[in-house]
Amino acid sequence: MFTGVGGTGVLTAARVLATAALIEGQNVRMGEIHGMAQRGGAVNCTIRIGSSVHGPIVPTGKADVLLSVEPVEALRNVDRIMPTGTIIVGQYQIVPTAVLLGRAEYPSDKEILRDLSKFAKVVTFDAASLAQDAGSLLTMNTVLIGAALGLNLLPLNEESIISAIKDVLPARYHNMNISALQKGKNAPKQTINV
Amino acid sequence: MDIAEILTKDEPGKRHLLLGNEAIARGAIEAGLELASTYPGTPSSEIGDSLFRAVKQGKYFFEYCTNEKVAMEVAGAAAVANARSLVIMKHVGLNVASDAFMTLNYIGVRAGLVIVSADDPGCWSSQNEQDNRLYAMLGDTMMLEPADPQEAKEMTIAAFDLSEELEQPVLLRVTTRVSHTRAGVELGPIREPRNNPNFERDPFRFVTVPSVARIRHPILVEKVKQATELSEKSEWNRIYDKGRLGIITSGVSFNYVMEALEALQIKAAIFKIGMTYPLPKKKLQKFIASKEQVIVVEELKPYLENHARAFSQEESIITPILGKSQGYFSEIGELSPRKVMEGIAQALGKEIPPDFRAIDEKFSEDLVESPPRPPILCAGCPHRATFYEVATATGRKGVYPTDIGCYTLAIQPPLEMADLLLCMGSSIGTSCGLTAVLDKPIIGAIGDSTFFHSGIPGLVNAVYNQHPVKIIVVDNHTTAMTGHQPHPGTGITGMGVKGQGISIEEVARGVGIQFVKVINPLKVKESIRAIREAVSFDGPAVIISRSPCALVERARKRRENEPIIPYEVNPEVCQGCRVCIDKLGCAAAIWEGEHAAIDSDLCSGCGVCAEICPYKAIREIEINERV
Repeated sequence: MFTGVGGTGVLTAARVLATAALIEGQNVRMGEIHGMAQRGGAVNCTIRIGSSVHGPIVPTGKADVLLSVEPVEALRNVDRIMPTGTIIVGQYQIVPTAVLLGRAEYPSDKEILRDLSKFAKVVTFDAASLAQDAGSLLTMNTVLIGAALGLNLLPLNEESIISAIKDVLPARYHNMNISALQKGKNAPKQTINV
Repeated sequence: MDIAEILTKDEPGKRHLLLGNEAIARGAIEAGLELASTYPGTPSSEIGDSLFRAVKQGKYFFEYCTNEKVAMEVAGAAAVANARSLVIMKHVGLNVASDAFMTLNYIGVRAGLVIVSADDPGCWSSQNEQDNRLYAMLGDTMMLEPADPQEAKEMTIAAFDLSEELEQPVLLRVTTRVSHTRAGVELGPIREPRNNPNFERDPFRFVTVPSVARIRHPILVEKVKQATELSEKSEWNRIYDKGRLGIITSGVSFNYVMEALEALQIKAAIFKIGMTYPLPKKKLQKFIASKEQVIVVEELKPYLENHARAFSQEESIITPILGKSQGYFSEIGELSPRKVMEGIAQALGKEIPPDFRAIDEKFSEDLVESPPRPPILCAGCPHRATFYEVATATGRKGVYPTDIGCYTLAIQPPLEMADLLLCMGSSIGTSCGLTAVLDKPIIGAIGDSTFFHSGIPGLVNAVYNQHPVKIIVVDNHTTAMTGHQPHPGTGITGMGVKGQGISIEEVARGVGIQFVKVINPLKVKESIRAIREAVSFDGPAVIISRSPCALVERARKRRENEPIIPYEVNPEVCQGCRVCIDKLGCAAAIWEGEHAAIDSDLCSGCGVCAEICPYKAIREIEINERV
């Protein structure tokens, strides 16, 4: 399950994963939300792979992996992660307008990580900086895919993910995303166990 | 791979990861599509958009219509003239088109006509979650209902064939979770369009004066009888697995049933209804009679459930039918695998899977609160400037009816400039009603595409009935919310031809509005002055607030290598008054504790914050600082 903020590339990254599954001949469903829900609001995108999958929705406690570059968006959807699953979360805070206006508070990193780790194992690192290094902040979701790949959490192999990147994205973005994938895979990460 | 190529290449057997909506577009092309018409609306938009993108390679005619009623008339007439036609709309679009729809069934068609209604259970992007299966019943119109993208493609083709077999239109009802699910879709062969358009005169069929309508109604009833026979035999009404427990379901709910039964380890026979109107009555009666009990799983209204009961009563079948009437499922919102698991478990008196509860408890316990993140206007969106100006010019002392589009997001703080909304075009009609009974400024906001869709009759009404409404047309030169489709004001057609756009100001003057002014909302002071003038004008007034959509403008600048020059706050000058944040609230604004700042990645360079800053602390980033 991918979560994040509309306009930060969540949908595209999820499409890369779903395409990789199709390339491998696996049964796949991807759920996405368009329209009004998309404008700068909280978004989530689900990718379900496997023969017993019918619909796109991930029930409570049934996600194997939860990926989010934005800490609060991981927390908002944390009830979806399986107790034996892994949450991979970046440190790229996008402050909602309500917080800017003083009508709500953005929790501290420490509080978010503490609460996330009540549900499952948490892996965290600075995905945004790695994305910048790869060539664009917009590759940060690809960095997360790399991290999940490096931790052997995906039922997909690296070659099919790279083919999917080439299939889904325009040619000028191929190299930076492949580089983002490698950076995410190799980056040192902090792990917090339940 | 380019969607145009995927849709139009004849490669049967090839699999692509397609959105349900793209699969429907492909299905129509495989069925030999000759004409398609639409008005965009989430969750239906990508069907029309895919056909638009493939129009050069395709062999069909495509148009974006002014509204769904016109789209229904365009496609309906083409099908009467023997051209296979598709008309696409969201669920509430069928309300707009319902006048044409409710009589199109009386006259029928010569070539296939498929009407796509994309429903939105859960109101992901809509003003209501009406269940359009009831329209099939109301309009005696056959309906197919797919569960996933592959089936959506196959059913589109089947719908064309059914339509031609009975010379009646066919509804294809999808929901958000079918339209916006991606899955591997296997392509089929593409049929050549027949290319045999022909209008055979038959006024006593096609001209629905009362005497003709009276003849046609019994014919329609007879067609429904024939359609029921087809439904009894239809491969789309299929029973999966065996068991003494029966489950009746349709559409996307089928997926949740399959997943729920596996999770709960329950054996059941599942009657998946693919043709939801007319229902296979005898087959359903037989199924229900053969079961110990039957659970009906469907989203929104208890449509299948009520029919199942009525059918059972006719044959004195006493099998218990469990569903919404006993409260196992809600008629509010969309279903999910979890809700279906819980509903089935409860109906059978089984334990609800305990792991849900454990997680729920943890989730509702003392977790730190996540700040809300509703959808908002984009950074640099000209609508934000317009609503800031309307709020300032009127001192927030008016009433502000709004309409359907991105600008509805002005409901969010800090703008909070949305007071009343019903449906497309309603801002002008509701403004008329409010001016008739209230003694304060009524300022309605409507988008450019919505103005053409159904705003104009309201404006005519304001002039005719002398309502001094003040209408702000927020004209960003596109249909932004649904994915930037062209509209009559842009002049770009569904065939990709550039014609002359229709001028909103000329329409307003043409219907008799005496005060018509065009403003650039990025020029704050002039705009406020113009709005004040409009408010004090004695009579109806129209202000056209014209500035391109920030997303389109950003994409254009990138394409044309034009620099985007962001603004910055000079922390030395900023007094921390927070006007830019508390009054405007741009998505690119940041608060750094004592002074404001701007996210230069998000800033579009519109300069509105710089104009309203009382201390002139905001300026364009200097050349040498630019990346």
